[in-house]
Amino acid sequence: MKKQKIEDIFSSMEDFSSVPPPELWAGIEEKLDKPKKKKRAILWWSAAACLLLCLSLPMALSDSGNKIGTGNAVEKNKVVLDENKNNETHKNVTSKGNQDSETTKNGIVNPDSENISNPVHHSDANSVEETAVATVDSKKGNSSKTVVSKSNSANNPNQAVAEGTTVNGNKNQFSVSGNKKTTQAVAVKNYDSGKQNSFNSSDKNQFNTSENQKSNQAVASKNYDSGKQNAFNSSDKNQFNTSGNQKPNQTIASKNYDSGKQNAFNSSNKNQFATSGKKNLNAGKKNSNEALALKNYSAQKQNAFNSANKNQFSENEKRNLDKVVAEKTFTGKSTNSFNNASKNQLPNSIFESNVNSNKNNVAFNSTKTSESNKQNAVSENKNETITKDQKSEKAIADNAQKSNSKFNDVLSKKDSVQLAELQNLEKGIVTPEAKKQKKKDPKTTNAEKWALEVFAGVANSENYKNDKTLGNVNDSKQSNSFGVKTKYKLNKKWAVGSGFKINELGQSVANVSYISTKNNAFLGTSDYLVQNATVPQIATNEGYVLVSNTTRNALASNNIQTGNIDQSLKYIEMPLEVSYAVFSKNKASISLNTGGFVGKLISNNIALDGNSIGQNENANDFVYGSTLSSTIQYRVYKKTNVFVEPAMNYYINPLSTQSFNQFQLGLNFGLNVSF
Amino acid sequence: MQNNREGQLKIYQLFSPVLYGICLKYMKNEDDAKDVFQEAFVIVFQKISQYKFEGSFEGWMKRIFINKLIETLNKKKKESFFLDVFDPDTDFIEEEELETIPIEKEKLLEYIRDLPDQYRTVFNLYVFEHMKHKEIAELLKISEGTSKSNLNRAKGILQKRILSIKNFKTA
Repeated sequence: MKKQKIEDIFSSMEDFSSVPPPELWAGIEEKLDKPKKKKRAILWWSAAACLLLCLSLPMALSDSGNKIGTGNAVEKNKVVLDENKNNETHKNVTSKGNQDSETTKNGIVNPDSENISNPVHHSDANSVEETAVATVDSKKGNSSKTVVSKSNSANNPNQAVAEGTTVNGNKNQFSVSGNKKTTQAVAVKNYDSGKQNSFNSSDKNQFNTSENQKSNQAVASKNYDSGKQNAFNSSDKNQFNTSGNQKPNQTIASKNYDSGKQNAFNSSNKNQFATSGKKNLNAGKKNSNEALALKNYSAQKQNAFNSANKNQFSENEKRNLDKVVAEKTFTGKSTNSFNNASKNQLPNSIFESNVNSNKNNVAFNSTKTSESNKQNAVSENKNETITKDQKSEKAIADNAQKSNSKFNDVLSKKDSVQLAELQNLEKGIVTPEAKKQKKKDPKTTNAEKWALEVFAGVANSENYKNDKTLGNVNDSKQSNSFGVKTKYKLNKKWAVGSGFKINELGQSVANVSYISTKNNAFLGTSDYLVQNATVPQIATNEGYVLVSNTTRNALASNNIQTGNIDQSLKYIEMPLEVSYAVFSKNKASISLNTGGFVGKLISNNIALDGNSIGQNENANDFVYGSTLSSTIQYRVYKKTNVFVEPAMNYYINPLSTQSFNQFQLGLNFGLNVSF
Repeated sequence: MQNNREGQLKIYQLFSPVLYGICLKYMKNEDDAKDVFQEAFVIVFQKISQYKFEGSFEGWMKRIFINKLIETLNKKKKESFFLDVFDPDTDFIEEEELETIPIEKEKLLEYIRDLPDQYRTVFNLYVFEHMKHKEIAELLKISEGTSKSNLNRAKGILQKRILSIKNFKTA
């Protein structure tokens, strides 16, 4: 005997395949239809909003708090100070600096500033019987009926009915009329997860068994209807009629899945199984065993009008029939399908797999019975009797077939083309269309072209030129900044961005000499200004005269005090940046950004020892500058990134005549959502 | 395609048997296999725009499925998963050549699914996906030694099962 290794034995399992149960597709559809969870994104955004709010509130409060001396007086006050660069020594007070000096007005400082129950009917006679009925109805305002009736059962009839009903308008009728030993087990489950506007949807199951002897019937029927919106007159009907004389054992398993979603009108699944035998005509009717497995699968989406799946099985022969009928009807429709009808009528034992598709559907194993195209009528919701005259129907069918055959030809051509495309796709062979798409891919497939950023951070205004104000070196000043920015990806590496940012440029000057006129009733600011005509004017305040170190020596006044001056200029800026991704791996990326910005002055404040003394008069309303930054980004959830961004800004012209810190180092933290 | 239900249905019809087969091979019970199958297919449809026509579409889908299966198995049994390390003294099993016995695929599937999770995963990846131990080790975040050990033990168990059939048939 040939020998082989374990791997060889199991190699046949490599291409092992198994057809998944049909309900799995319905589950997938349901999951696909669920709206994407945006909870986490919302959380992030709300966190960002809170961050912004927390940062902006103290700033806004501090702005209002610093404005001491509210009222008319403040606005008119002027402060005179002397600009002295590079620590020059002025021997004469009336030297160079005089050009800018100006005598102004003096003022006085004011520095302070329903469920319907289910009827169950029993009409029983002449027998001891056991009936178990379990009914669950979870919907309100819809009548749900469950009727179990038994009559004329003579000997030990046992019936068990288990039903779980969660649908609008379900009707289940099971009637058994037999004389001897009738055993019936019926399990019916109806699920309907319809949500909105379902009108007249009904599931009906009727099982009639009228037999004389030993009729054993097991019927399991499941109806799933997950229609969601606007389902009108959708109905699932199952009728099983068995009237046999001797020992017909019938097992019927029927499953109907209907996942119609929107605007399904008059869609119906019908299953009719009838087995009838007449004692007088057929003498040898014994042991008719029938097993029917029927699955109807209908995945409809939108605007399906009058679509119907019908299955009719009629059995008139009674001689030792062992029949297995397995049928699958698969209908996948998506939009605007009208008058769709797939019907299967099987008079004899047939194994049939029937897939009917309307648009762009691949027809797998598509075999249709000749009688499948019987009716073109709109909305057919009839319960056809099994013993109809077939001849008259055939006459109608002939006419209908002609019109439908053309349609089917077109469909099959379309389907074959699409099947070929799919196969190409599967093999990795790119069709011309796909090639075109591939060419476009580098530009278009990057779904995340846009990004929106919110950020906040700290910034430090620096003096790298050793600039001085009033003979004292300008010190750095810390401030906050925040804003929003949007970026557009040009390609994998490059991106451009713009947005808005509230930023503050500032400086501190320590040990500035000043004279407070409010402590000196006999001396006004104008007196100093007259004497010190060379002192250039910078800001306004009526109660304080700021003097340079040199002027202080010249004045030699006892009234001169020293204090710290804080100046801040707040801007709303609009940057225009170019970004280059230098590193990108897995979830992390680093990019370099550079560009320029333009800013509009929105706040201007000078404070002496924490008290506002007005505004800096030399501040320009518009400021320009350049920026250089690096963004270190990490993807935390799907399209959401957190980033840290060290940055350096250079302001070209914050003030017109006075020296001011022009460099700013900043560190921003933020969130970035790409889409 | 991402929102085209018809297209999705076509893909489902075309590839679902193979992919469901994979799920059955990796998961011990059928319910879990169904769950993973559904979840993985949803991922496929959600990420279908990311397929860049590089390699076969089926291969791309298989990778998604296998990743999902491994993720699920990892979640399921995080503590004891892949903890054993290859010990050449005890783990080396002399692979016996077995006489050819016709065994149905269903039976073989049953044997595979009866394997412990960790052995089954390594066995599937090695035998059916033709991955090397180094690749398996990277994918499962285990050492190469552990991968070899798991494979050998899986083979040992399967060998015993098949021998028992043979003995049963000859007896």
